[in-house]
Amino acid sequence: MKTPNPIDLAPASAPEDEMYYLNMGPQHPSMHGVLRLLLKLHGEEIITAEPVIGYAHRAHEKMAENRSYIMFLPNTSRVDYLSGMIYNLAYCEAMEKILDIEVPERAQYIRTIANELNRISSHLLWFGTFLLDLGGVTPFLYCFDDREEILEVLDRVTGSRLTYSYGRFGGVTMDVDDAFLDGARAVLKRIRERIPMYLSLVHDNVIFRERCDGVGVMTGDLLRKYGITGPPLRAAGVAYDVRRAEPYGIYDRFDFEIPTRTAGDCMARFEVRVDEMEQSCRIVEQAIEGLPEGPIMPGRMKKRFKPPKGEFYFAVESARGHFGMYIVSDGTDNPSRIKLRTPSFSNLSSMPEVLRGTFVADTIAIVGSIDVVLPEIDR
Amino acid sequence: MTHEAPKDTVAPALDGLTTSSEPSDPAKDGFHVRHVATADRVVELARRFDEAGYFLEMITAEDRRGDLEAMRLVYTYNRYGEADRHLVLVDLSSEIPGASAPSCVPVFPAADWFEREVFDMYGITFDGHPDLKRILLPDDADFHALLKDFGRIEDAPPEEDPPERELTV
Repeated sequence: MKTPNPIDLAPASAPEDEMYYLNMGPQHPSMHGVLRLLLKLHGEEIITAEPVIGYAHRAHEKMAENRSYIMFLPNTSRVDYLSGMIYNLAYCEAMEKILDIEVPERAQYIRTIANELNRISSHLLWFGTFLLDLGGVTPFLYCFDDREEILEVLDRVTGSRLTYSYGRFGGVTMDVDDAFLDGARAVLKRIRERIPMYLSLVHDNVIFRERCDGVGVMTGDLLRKYGITGPPLRAAGVAYDVRRAEPYGIYDRFDFEIPTRTAGDCMARFEVRVDEMEQSCRIVEQAIEGLPEGPIMPGRMKKRFKPPKGEFYFAVESARGHFGMYIVSDGTDNPSRIKLRTPSFSNLSSMPEVLRGTFVADTIAIVGSIDVVLPEIDR
Repeated sequence: MTHEAPKDTVAPALDGLTTSSEPSDPAKDGFHVRHVATADRVVELARRFDEAGYFLEMITAEDRRGDLEAMRLVYTYNRYGEADRHLVLVDLSSEIPGASAPSCVPVFPAADWFEREVFDMYGITFDGHPDLKRILLPDDADFHALLKDFGRIEDAPPEEDPPERELTV
Protein backbone atom coordinates (compact mmCIF):
# COMPACT_ATOMS: atom_id res chain seq x y z
CA MET A 1 0.00 0.00 0.00
CA LYS A 2 2.13 2.81 -1.25
CA THR A 3 -0.01 5.90 -1.23
CA PRO A 4 -3.03 5.69 1.01
CA ASN A 5 -6.19 6.79 -0.67
CA PRO A 6 -7.21 10.01 1.10
CA ILE A 7 -10.78 8.74 1.31
CA ASP A 8 -9.61 5.86 3.52
CA LEU A 9 -7.92 8.14 6.00
CA ALA A 10 -9.68 8.91 9.21
CA PRO A 11 -10.94 12.46 9.31
CA ALA A 12 -9.23 14.46 11.98
CA SER A 13 -12.58 14.70 13.70
CA ALA A 14 -13.26 10.93 13.73
CA PRO A 15 -15.20 10.29 16.91
CA GLU A 16 -13.33 8.69 19.76
CA ASP A 17 -15.68 5.70 19.89
CA GLU A 18 -14.60 4.73 16.38
CA MET A 19 -11.00 4.32 17.59
CA TYR A 20 -9.61 1.20 19.06
CA TYR A 21 -6.35 0.27 20.67
CA LEU A 22 -4.08 -2.55 19.67
CA ASN A 23 -1.17 -3.84 21.68
CA MET A 24 1.45 -5.06 19.28
CA GLY A 25 3.95 -6.98 21.35
CA PRO A 26 5.80 -7.46 23.61
CA GLN A 27 5.28 -11.05 22.52
CA HIS A 28 4.07 -10.56 19.00
CA PRO A 29 5.60 -13.07 16.57
CA SER A 30 6.70 -10.44 14.09
CA MET A 31 7.67 -7.78 16.59
CA HIS A 32 11.34 -7.56 17.33
CA GLY A 33 12.45 -8.73 20.71
CA VAL A 34 10.27 -7.37 23.46
CA LEU A 35 9.09 -4.18 21.84
CA ARG A 36 5.53 -3.24 22.60
CA LEU A 37 3.73 -0.82 20.33
CA LEU A 38 0.57 0.72 21.65
CA LEU A 39 -1.39 1.59 18.55
CA LYS A 40 -4.47 3.76 18.39
CA LEU A 41 -6.30 2.81 15.24
CA HIS A 42 -9.10 4.00 13.07
CA GLY A 43 -9.74 0.93 10.99
CA GLU A 44 -6.34 -0.02 9.64
CA GLU A 45 -4.91 3.44 9.91
CA ILE A 46 -2.59 4.38 12.76
CA ILE A 47 -3.68 7.52 14.56
CA THR A 48 -0.96 7.35 17.19
CA ALA A 49 1.76 4.83 17.91
CA GLU A 50 3.61 4.72 21.18
CA PRO A 51 6.58 2.39 21.63
CA VAL A 52 6.66 1.02 25.18
CA ILE A 53 10.12 -0.14 26.13
CA GLY A 54 12.01 -1.32 29.18
CA TYR A 55 11.05 -5.00 29.19
CA ALA A 56 14.68 -6.04 28.72
CA HIS A 57 16.18 -3.50 31.10
CA ARG A 58 19.08 -5.13 32.92
CA ALA A 59 20.65 -2.08 34.59
CA HIS A 60 23.95 -2.22 32.73
CA GLU A 61 24.70 1.39 33.60
CA LYS A 62 24.10 0.76 37.29
CA MET A 63 26.25 -2.35 37.13
CA ALA A 64 29.04 -0.25 35.62
CA GLU A 65 29.10 1.97 38.70
CA ASN A 66 29.21 -1.06 40.94
CA ARG A 67 32.34 -2.65 39.57
CA SER A 68 35.79 -1.86 38.35
CA TYR A 69 36.49 -0.82 34.79
CA ILE A 70 37.80 -4.22 33.76
CA MET A 71 34.84 -6.03 35.30
CA PHE A 72 32.45 -4.16 33.02
CA LEU A 73 33.95 -5.81 29.95
CA PRO A 74 31.56 -8.79 29.77
CA ASN A 75 28.55 -6.46 30.04
CA THR A 76 29.41 -4.58 26.89
CA SER A 77 28.76 -7.37 24.42
CA ARG A 78 25.46 -8.10 26.11
CA VAL A 79 24.15 -4.64 25.39
CA ASP A 80 23.60 -5.58 21.77
CA TYR A 81 23.90 -9.30 21.40
CA LEU A 82 23.86 -9.17 17.59
CA SER A 83 26.95 -7.06 17.20
CA GLY A 84 28.52 -7.67 20.59
CA MET A 85 32.04 -7.61 19.25
CA ILE A 86 31.68 -4.01 18.12
CA TYR A 87 30.43 -2.92 21.54
CA ASN A 88 33.03 -4.90 23.41
CA LEU A 89 35.90 -3.51 21.36
CA ALA A 90 34.40 -0.01 21.55
CA TYR A 91 34.70 -0.12 25.32
CA CYS A 92 38.29 -1.37 25.08
CA GLU A 93 39.20 1.38 22.66
CA ALA A 94 37.53 4.00 24.82
CA MET A 95 39.51 2.88 27.85
CA GLU A 96 42.74 2.69 25.88
CA LYS A 97 42.24 6.27 24.84
CA ILE A 98 41.58 7.36 28.41
CA LEU A 99 44.43 5.34 29.89
CA ASP A 100 46.79 6.11 27.03
CA ILE A 101 47.55 2.48 26.18
CA GLU A 102 49.23 1.67 22.90
CA VAL A 103 47.58 -1.24 21.07
CA PRO A 104 49.93 -3.50 19.07
CA GLU A 105 49.47 -3.44 15.30
CA ARG A 106 48.48 -7.07 15.02
CA ALA A 107 45.72 -6.64 17.59
CA GLN A 108 44.39 -3.63 15.68
CA TYR A 109 44.09 -5.67 12.51
CA ILE A 110 42.51 -8.62 14.31
CA ARG A 111 39.99 -6.26 15.89
CA THR A 112 39.07 -4.82 12.53
CA ILE A 113 38.53 -8.29 11.07
CA ALA A 114 36.41 -9.34 14.04
CA ASN A 115 34.39 -6.10 13.97
CA GLU A 116 33.53 -6.32 10.32
CA LEU A 117 32.74 -10.04 10.40
CA ASN A 118 30.40 -9.27 13.26
CA ARG A 119 28.80 -6.48 11.26
CA ILE A 120 28.17 -8.86 8.36
CA SER A 121 26.62 -11.45 10.66
CA SER A 122 24.40 -8.79 12.22
CA HIS A 123 23.23 -7.56 8.81
CA LEU A 124 22.63 -11.14 7.68
CA LEU A 125 20.41 -11.80 10.65
CA TRP A 126 18.56 -8.58 9.99
CA PHE A 127 18.14 -9.54 6.32
CA GLY A 128 16.61 -12.87 7.26
CA THR A 129 14.29 -11.58 9.96
CA PHE A 130 13.19 -8.58 7.91
CA LEU A 131 12.06 -10.85 5.10
CA LEU A 132 10.51 -13.18 7.61
CA ASP A 133 8.50 -10.23 8.89
CA LEU A 134 7.28 -9.59 5.38
CA GLY A 135 6.24 -13.19 4.92
CA GLY A 136 9.27 -14.69 3.19
CA VAL A 137 10.42 -17.71 5.18
CA THR A 138 13.06 -19.14 2.86
CA PRO A 139 15.64 -16.30 2.92
CA PHE A 140 15.78 -16.62 6.69
CA LEU A 141 17.01 -20.21 6.40
CA TYR A 142 19.73 -19.27 3.93
CA CYS A 143 20.89 -16.29 5.97
CA PHE A 144 21.15 -18.27 9.15
CA ASP A 145 23.18 -20.86 7.32
CA ASP A 146 25.67 -18.20 6.23
CA ARG A 147 25.65 -16.46 9.56
CA GLU A 148 26.50 -19.75 11.21
CA GLU A 149 29.73 -19.86 9.21
CA ILE A 150 30.74 -16.48 10.59
CA LEU A 151 29.83 -17.45 14.15
CA GLU A 152 31.92 -20.58 13.74
CA VAL A 153 34.94 -18.58 12.65
CA LEU A 154 34.59 -16.08 15.48
CA ASP A 155 33.90 -18.86 17.97
CA ARG A 156 37.26 -20.31 17.03
CA VAL A 157 39.20 -17.39 18.50
CA THR A 158 36.78 -15.92 21.02
CA GLY A 159 35.21 -19.03 22.49
CA SER A 160 31.70 -17.68 22.21
CA ARG A 161 29.08 -17.34 19.55
CA LEU A 162 27.37 -14.07 20.40
CA THR A 163 28.48 -12.47 23.65
CA TYR A 164 32.13 -12.13 22.83
CA SER A 165 34.41 -10.79 25.48
CA TYR A 166 37.33 -10.81 23.13
CA GLY A 167 38.89 -7.45 23.81
CA ARG A 168 41.14 -6.46 26.68
CA PHE A 169 42.49 -3.04 27.49
CA GLY A 170 45.48 -3.06 25.17
CA GLY A 171 44.66 -5.85 22.75
CA VAL A 172 42.71 -9.07 22.41
CA THR A 173 42.66 -12.27 24.42
CA MET A 174 43.72 -14.75 21.81
CA ASP A 175 45.82 -14.71 18.68
CA VAL A 176 44.39 -15.84 15.36
CA ASP A 177 45.86 -18.78 13.49
CA ASP A 178 45.91 -19.84 9.85
CA ALA A 179 42.73 -21.83 10.25
CA PHE A 180 40.93 -18.66 11.37
CA LEU A 181 42.24 -16.68 8.44
CA ASP A 182 41.35 -19.45 5.99
CA GLY A 183 37.92 -19.60 7.57
CA ALA A 184 37.47 -15.85 7.25
CA ARG A 185 38.53 -15.96 3.60
CA ALA A 186 36.10 -18.79 2.95
CA VAL A 187 33.32 -16.76 4.60
CA LEU A 188 34.06 -13.77 2.38
CA LYS A 189 34.03 -15.91 -0.73
CA ARG A 190 30.78 -17.47 0.28
CA ILE A 191 29.04 -14.22 1.25
CA ARG A 192 30.07 -12.61 -2.00
CA GLU A 193 28.56 -15.47 -3.96
CA ARG A 194 25.39 -15.47 -1.94
CA ILE A 195 24.55 -11.75 -1.87
CA PRO A 196 23.66 -11.64 -5.59
CA MET A 197 21.64 -14.79 -5.06
CA TYR A 198 19.71 -13.21 -2.18
CA LEU A 199 19.05 -10.14 -4.22
CA SER A 200 17.76 -12.11 -7.19
CA LEU A 201 15.64 -14.07 -4.74
CA VAL A 202 13.86 -11.07 -3.23
CA HIS A 203 14.82 -7.72 -4.66
CA ASP A 204 12.43 -7.70 -7.60
CA ASN A 205 9.76 -9.77 -5.99
CA VAL A 206 6.54 -7.89 -6.54
CA ILE A 207 5.24 -8.43 -3.00
CA PHE A 208 8.52 -7.29 -1.49
CA ARG A 209 8.59 -4.18 -3.62
CA GLU A 210 5.00 -3.31 -2.88
CA ARG A 211 5.67 -3.52 0.81
CA CYS A 212 8.94 -1.57 0.76
CA ASP A 213 8.89 1.02 -2.00
CA GLY A 214 7.82 4.35 -0.63
CA VAL A 215 6.91 2.87 2.76
CA GLY A 216 8.15 4.44 5.98
CA VAL A 217 9.87 7.39 4.38
CA MET A 218 12.31 9.09 6.76
CA THR A 219 14.07 12.04 5.19
CA GLY A 220 15.06 15.62 5.73
CA ASP A 221 14.89 17.35 9.08
CA LEU A 222 13.19 14.44 10.83
CA LEU A 223 16.50 12.56 10.86
CA ARG A 224 18.46 15.32 12.52
CA LYS A 225 15.72 16.28 14.94
CA TYR A 226 15.64 12.74 16.30
CA GLY A 227 19.39 12.14 16.07
CA ILE A 228 18.94 9.18 13.76
CA THR A 229 22.13 7.44 12.69
CA GLY A 230 23.23 4.31 10.88
CA PRO A 231 21.58 2.77 7.82
CA PRO A 232 18.29 4.71 8.25
CA LEU A 233 20.28 7.94 7.97
CA ARG A 234 22.41 6.80 5.06
CA ALA A 235 19.30 5.56 3.24
CA ALA A 236 18.19 9.19 3.17
CA GLY A 237 21.37 10.40 1.51
CA VAL A 238 23.46 11.52 4.47
CA ALA A 239 26.86 9.82 4.26
CA TYR A 240 27.49 9.86 8.01
CA ASP A 241 29.51 6.96 9.31
CA VAL A 242 31.56 7.24 12.50
CA ARG A 243 34.32 5.22 10.85
CA ARG A 244 34.81 8.20 8.52
CA ALA A 245 33.58 11.15 10.55
CA GLU A 246 35.69 10.31 13.59
CA PRO A 247 38.04 7.47 12.58
CA TYR A 248 38.94 5.10 15.40
CA GLY A 249 41.13 2.03 15.50
CA ILE A 250 42.79 1.76 12.12
CA TYR A 251 39.78 2.44 9.91
CA ASP A 252 41.55 5.34 8.25
CA ARG A 253 43.89 2.85 6.57
CA PHE A 254 41.26 0.99 4.62
CA ASP A 255 39.65 1.69 1.34
CA PHE A 256 35.88 1.43 1.61
CA GLU A 257 32.81 3.35 0.59
CA ILE A 258 29.83 4.55 2.56
CA PRO A 259 26.81 3.25 0.67
CA THR A 260 23.93 5.70 0.50
CA ARG A 261 20.50 5.96 -1.09
CA THR A 262 18.24 8.96 -1.25
CA ALA A 263 14.68 7.64 -1.02
CA GLY A 264 14.76 7.07 2.75
CA ASP A 265 12.14 4.31 2.56
CA CYS A 266 12.25 0.66 3.61
CA MET A 267 13.72 -0.34 0.26
CA ALA A 268 16.54 2.20 0.57
CA ARG A 269 17.41 0.92 4.04
CA PHE A 270 17.38 -2.61 2.69
CA GLU A 271 19.75 -1.73 -0.14
CA VAL A 272 22.11 0.23 2.08
CA ARG A 273 22.59 -2.74 4.38
CA VAL A 274 23.18 -5.14 1.52
CA ASP A 275 25.83 -2.79 0.14
CA GLU A 276 27.39 -2.44 3.58
CA MET A 277 27.98 -6.17 3.73
CA GLU A 278 30.03 -5.89 0.57
CA GLN A 279 32.01 -2.97 2.02
CA SER A 280 32.67 -4.93 5.20
CA CYS A 281 33.95 -7.80 3.04
CA ARG A 282 36.36 -5.36 1.42
CA ILE A 283 37.65 -4.17 4.78
CA VAL A 284 38.13 -7.71 6.10
CA GLU A 285 39.97 -8.61 2.91
CA GLN A 286 42.36 -5.69 3.26
CA ALA A 287 42.88 -6.39 6.95
CA ILE A 288 43.73 -10.05 6.32
CA GLU A 289 46.08 -8.94 3.57
CA GLY A 290 47.86 -6.45 5.80
CA LEU A 291 47.86 -8.49 9.03
CA PRO A 292 51.35 -8.05 10.52
CA GLU A 293 53.18 -10.48 12.80
CA GLY A 294 53.76 -9.44 16.38
CA PRO A 295 52.26 -9.42 19.85
CA ILE A 296 48.52 -9.11 20.50
CA MET A 297 48.89 -7.42 23.88
CA PRO A 298 51.32 -4.77 25.09
CA GLY A 299 54.07 -6.13 27.35
CA ARG A 300 53.18 -6.15 31.03
CA MET A 301 49.69 -5.00 31.79
CA LYS A 302 48.40 -3.74 35.10
CA LYS A 303 45.54 -5.45 36.84
CA ARG A 304 44.00 -2.26 38.19
CA PHE A 305 43.28 0.80 36.13
CA LYS A 306 42.81 4.28 37.53
CA PRO A 307 41.95 6.75 34.78
CA PRO A 308 42.43 10.48 35.36
CA LYS A 309 39.44 12.44 36.61
CA GLY A 310 37.11 13.85 34.00
CA GLU A 311 34.53 13.23 31.29
CA PHE A 312 35.24 11.25 28.16
CA TYR A 313 33.24 10.35 25.08
CA PHE A 314 34.05 7.66 22.58
CA ALA A 315 31.98 6.74 19.53
CA VAL A 316 32.01 3.86 17.07
CA GLU A 317 29.84 2.81 14.17
CA SER A 318 27.90 -0.25 15.23
CA ALA A 319 25.77 -2.26 12.83
CA ARG A 320 22.86 -0.02 13.83
CA GLY A 321 24.49 3.38 13.91
CA HIS A 322 26.36 5.74 16.21
CA PHE A 323 27.18 4.02 19.49
CA GLY A 324 28.71 6.33 22.04
CA MET A 325 30.10 5.80 25.52
CA TYR A 326 30.12 8.69 27.93
CA ILE A 327 32.49 7.77 30.73
CA VAL A 328 33.00 9.81 33.87
CA SER A 329 35.97 9.00 36.04
CA ASP A 330 36.42 10.19 39.61
CA GLY A 331 39.98 8.95 39.74
CA THR A 332 39.22 5.64 41.43
CA ASP A 333 39.16 2.23 39.77
CA ASN A 334 35.37 2.22 39.57
CA PRO A 335 33.64 4.31 36.93
CA SER A 336 31.54 7.11 38.37
CA ARG A 337 29.18 6.97 35.42
CA ILE A 338 29.00 5.14 32.11
CA LYS A 339 26.25 6.25 29.78
CA LEU A 340 25.65 4.07 26.75
CA ARG A 341 24.30 6.15 23.89
CA THR A 342 22.81 3.44 21.73
CA PRO A 343 21.69 4.01 18.15
CA SER A 344 18.48 1.98 18.27
CA PHE A 345 17.19 4.11 21.16
CA SER A 346 17.28 7.29 19.10
CA ASN A 347 16.16 5.55 15.93
CA LEU A 348 13.14 4.02 17.62
CA SER A 349 12.20 7.28 19.32
CA SER A 350 11.19 8.65 15.92
CA MET A 351 8.55 5.95 15.46
CA PRO A 352 5.55 7.90 16.80
CA GLU A 353 6.08 10.45 14.05
CA VAL A 354 7.01 7.98 11.30
CA LEU A 355 4.17 5.57 11.96
CA ARG A 356 1.43 8.18 12.20
CA GLY A 357 -0.91 7.81 9.23
CA THR A 358 0.49 4.50 8.02
CA PHE A 359 -1.27 1.14 8.11
CA VAL A 360 -0.89 -1.71 10.55
CA ALA A 361 0.71 -4.00 7.98
CA ASP A 362 3.31 -1.33 7.17
CA THR A 363 4.28 -1.09 10.83
CA ILE A 364 5.94 -4.47 10.56
CA ALA A 365 7.93 -3.39 7.52
CA ILE A 366 8.91 -0.03 8.98
CA VAL A 367 9.98 -1.22 12.43
CA GLY A 368 11.76 -4.16 10.81
CA SER A 369 13.66 -1.91 8.42
CA ILE A 370 14.96 0.27 11.27
CA ASP A 371 16.68 -2.83 12.68
CA VAL A 372 16.11 -2.32 16.36
CA VAL A 373 17.67 -4.55 18.96
CA LEU A 374 15.67 -4.20 22.14
CA PRO A 375 18.32 -5.16 24.72
CA GLU A 376 20.37 -2.32 23.29
CA ILE A 377 17.51 0.12 23.75
CA ASP A 378 16.62 -1.03 27.25
CA ARG A 379 20.21 -1.60 28.44
CA MET B 1 38.11 12.33 4.02
CA THR B 2 35.94 11.58 1.06
CA HIS B 3 32.99 13.57 2.25
CA GLU B 4 32.39 16.99 3.69
CA ALA B 5 30.17 18.24 6.44
CA PRO B 6 26.69 18.98 5.18
CA LYS B 7 26.64 22.42 3.67
CA ASP B 8 24.06 23.80 6.05
CA THR B 9 26.20 23.13 9.11
CA VAL B 10 27.82 26.24 10.54
CA ALA B 11 29.55 26.96 13.81
CA PRO B 12 26.88 27.53 16.46
CA ALA B 13 26.65 31.09 17.75
CA LEU B 14 26.61 30.72 21.51
CA ASP B 15 27.91 34.10 22.59
CA GLY B 16 26.88 34.99 26.07
CA LEU B 17 24.71 31.90 26.58
CA THR B 18 27.27 29.82 28.38
CA THR B 19 29.03 30.46 31.65
CA SER B 20 32.24 29.21 30.11
CA SER B 21 33.29 27.66 26.79
CA GLU B 22 36.66 26.09 26.25
CA PRO B 23 38.12 24.18 23.34
CA SER B 24 39.08 20.65 24.24
CA ASP B 25 41.29 18.00 22.69
CA PRO B 26 39.11 15.37 20.98
CA ALA B 27 42.08 13.02 20.68
CA LYS B 28 42.11 12.82 24.47
CA ASP B 29 38.50 13.04 25.64
CA GLY B 30 36.35 13.02 22.50
CA PHE B 31 35.04 16.57 22.93
CA HIS B 32 35.85 19.48 20.65
CA VAL B 33 34.34 22.16 22.86
CA ARG B 34 33.27 22.07 26.51
CA HIS B 35 30.59 24.41 27.78
CA VAL B 36 29.24 25.07 31.23
CA ALA B 37 25.80 26.64 31.37
CA THR B 38 22.92 27.33 33.71
CA ALA B 39 19.58 25.55 33.52
CA ASP B 40 17.63 28.54 32.22
CA ARG B 41 19.78 28.59 29.08
CA VAL B 42 19.46 24.98 27.88
CA VAL B 43 16.54 25.57 25.51
CA GLU B 44 18.12 28.62 23.92
CA LEU B 45 21.36 26.65 23.55
CA ALA B 46 19.48 23.79 21.89
CA ARG B 47 17.90 26.29 19.51
CA ARG B 48 21.29 27.70 18.53
CA PHE B 49 22.65 24.22 17.86
CA ASP B 50 19.54 23.43 15.87
CA GLU B 51 19.94 26.54 13.75
CA ALA B 52 23.55 25.62 13.11
CA GLY B 53 22.52 22.19 11.77
CA TYR B 54 23.70 20.08 14.70
CA PHE B 55 21.88 17.10 16.16
CA LEU B 56 21.29 16.25 19.78
CA GLU B 57 23.52 13.26 20.39
CA MET B 58 22.43 12.48 23.92
CA ILE B 59 21.19 13.85 27.21
CA THR B 60 22.13 12.19 30.42
CA ALA B 61 22.76 13.09 34.04
CA GLU B 62 25.23 12.42 36.80
CA ASP B 63 24.63 12.17 40.49
CA ARG B 64 27.34 14.54 41.74
CA ARG B 65 25.81 15.23 45.14
CA GLY B 66 28.82 13.55 46.70
CA ASP B 67 31.52 15.90 45.42
CA LEU B 68 29.79 18.91 43.82
CA GLU B 69 26.59 18.94 45.88
CA ALA B 70 24.63 19.09 42.63
CA MET B 71 22.79 16.99 40.13
CA ARG B 72 24.41 17.44 36.77
CA LEU B 73 22.78 17.39 33.35
CA VAL B 74 24.93 16.49 30.37
CA TYR B 75 24.10 17.41 26.77
CA THR B 76 26.21 16.52 23.77
CA TYR B 77 25.66 17.95 20.32
CA ASN B 78 27.34 16.78 17.15
CA ARG B 79 26.89 17.15 13.41
CA TYR B 80 26.53 14.76 10.50
CA GLY B 81 29.93 15.26 9.04
CA GLU B 82 33.40 15.52 10.41
CA ALA B 83 32.90 15.27 14.16
CA ASP B 84 32.47 18.47 16.17
CA ARG B 85 31.20 17.41 19.56
CA HIS B 86 30.04 20.02 22.04
CA LEU B 87 29.64 19.02 25.66
CA VAL B 88 27.29 21.12 27.75
CA LEU B 89 27.36 20.62 31.51
CA VAL B 90 24.52 22.04 33.58
CA ASP B 91 24.56 21.81 37.36
CA LEU B 92 21.19 21.72 39.11
CA SER B 93 20.21 21.77 42.76
CA SER B 94 20.94 18.66 44.75
CA GLU B 95 17.34 18.20 45.87
CA ILE B 96 15.64 15.02 44.64
CA PRO B 97 12.79 15.54 44.06
CA GLY B 98 13.20 19.17 43.23
CA ALA B 99 16.00 19.43 40.70
CA SER B 100 14.52 20.56 37.43
CA ALA B 101 15.37 22.05 34.05
CA PRO B 102 13.36 23.31 31.06
CA SER B 103 12.58 20.67 28.44
CA CYS B 104 14.28 20.72 25.03
CA VAL B 105 11.51 18.72 23.35
CA PRO B 106 10.08 21.75 21.47
CA VAL B 107 13.45 22.14 19.74
CA PHE B 108 14.65 18.54 19.46
CA PRO B 109 12.01 15.80 19.68
CA ALA B 110 14.95 13.47 20.34
CA ALA B 111 15.02 14.98 23.83
CA ASP B 112 11.67 13.35 24.61
CA TRP B 113 13.01 9.91 25.41
CA PHE B 114 16.35 11.15 26.76
CA GLU B 115 14.59 13.39 29.28
CA ARG B 116 12.22 10.62 30.25
CA GLU B 117 15.20 8.39 30.90
CA VAL B 118 16.91 11.04 33.04
CA PHE B 119 13.70 11.47 35.00
CA ASP B 120 13.35 7.70 35.34
CA MET B 121 16.89 7.14 36.55
CA TYR B 122 17.55 10.35 38.53
CA GLY B 123 14.21 11.96 39.35
CA ILE B 124 15.14 15.22 37.65
CA THR B 125 12.04 16.80 36.15
CA PHE B 126 11.74 18.75 32.91
CA ASP B 127 9.36 21.69 32.72
CA GLY B 128 7.32 21.68 29.55
CA HIS B 129 7.93 18.05 28.67
CA PRO B 130 4.77 16.78 26.93
CA ASP B 131 4.56 13.45 28.75
CA LEU B 132 7.16 13.03 31.46
CA LYS B 133 6.84 9.46 32.73
CA ARG B 134 9.04 6.47 33.36
CA ILE B 135 10.55 4.77 30.35
CA LEU B 136 12.82 1.88 31.32
CA LEU B 137 11.89 1.08 34.92
CA PRO B 138 8.45 -0.27 35.82
CA ASP B 139 5.68 2.32 35.95
CA ASP B 140 5.05 1.63 39.63
CA ALA B 141 8.70 1.82 40.72
CA ASP B 142 9.24 4.05 43.75
CA PHE B 143 12.96 4.64 43.24
CA HIS B 144 15.34 6.30 40.81
CA ALA B 145 17.88 3.64 40.08
CA LEU B 146 20.99 5.59 39.12
CA LEU B 147 21.07 7.77 42.21
CA LYS B 148 24.17 6.92 44.19
CA ASP B 149 22.15 6.37 47.37
CA PHE B 150 19.86 3.87 45.69
CA GLY B 151 22.23 1.15 46.77
CA ARG B 152 24.87 -1.08 45.42
CA ILE B 153 23.76 -4.18 43.63
CA GLU B 154 25.67 -6.50 45.93
CA ASP B 155 23.92 -4.97 48.95
CA ALA B 156 20.54 -6.05 47.69
CA PRO B 157 18.79 -8.50 50.00
CA PRO B 158 18.61 -12.07 48.73
CA GLU B 159 15.43 -12.75 46.87
CA GLU B 160 12.82 -14.59 48.84
CA ASP B 161 10.76 -17.34 47.33
CA PRO B 162 7.33 -16.07 46.37
CA PRO B 163 4.57 -17.27 48.68
CA GLU B 164 2.79 -20.43 47.61
CA ARG B 165 -0.25 -19.62 45.60
CA GLU B 166 -3.23 -21.78 45.16
CA LEU B 167 -4.22 -22.38 41.60
CA THR B 168 -7.80 -21.58 40.89
CA VAL B 169 -9.60 -22.86 37.88
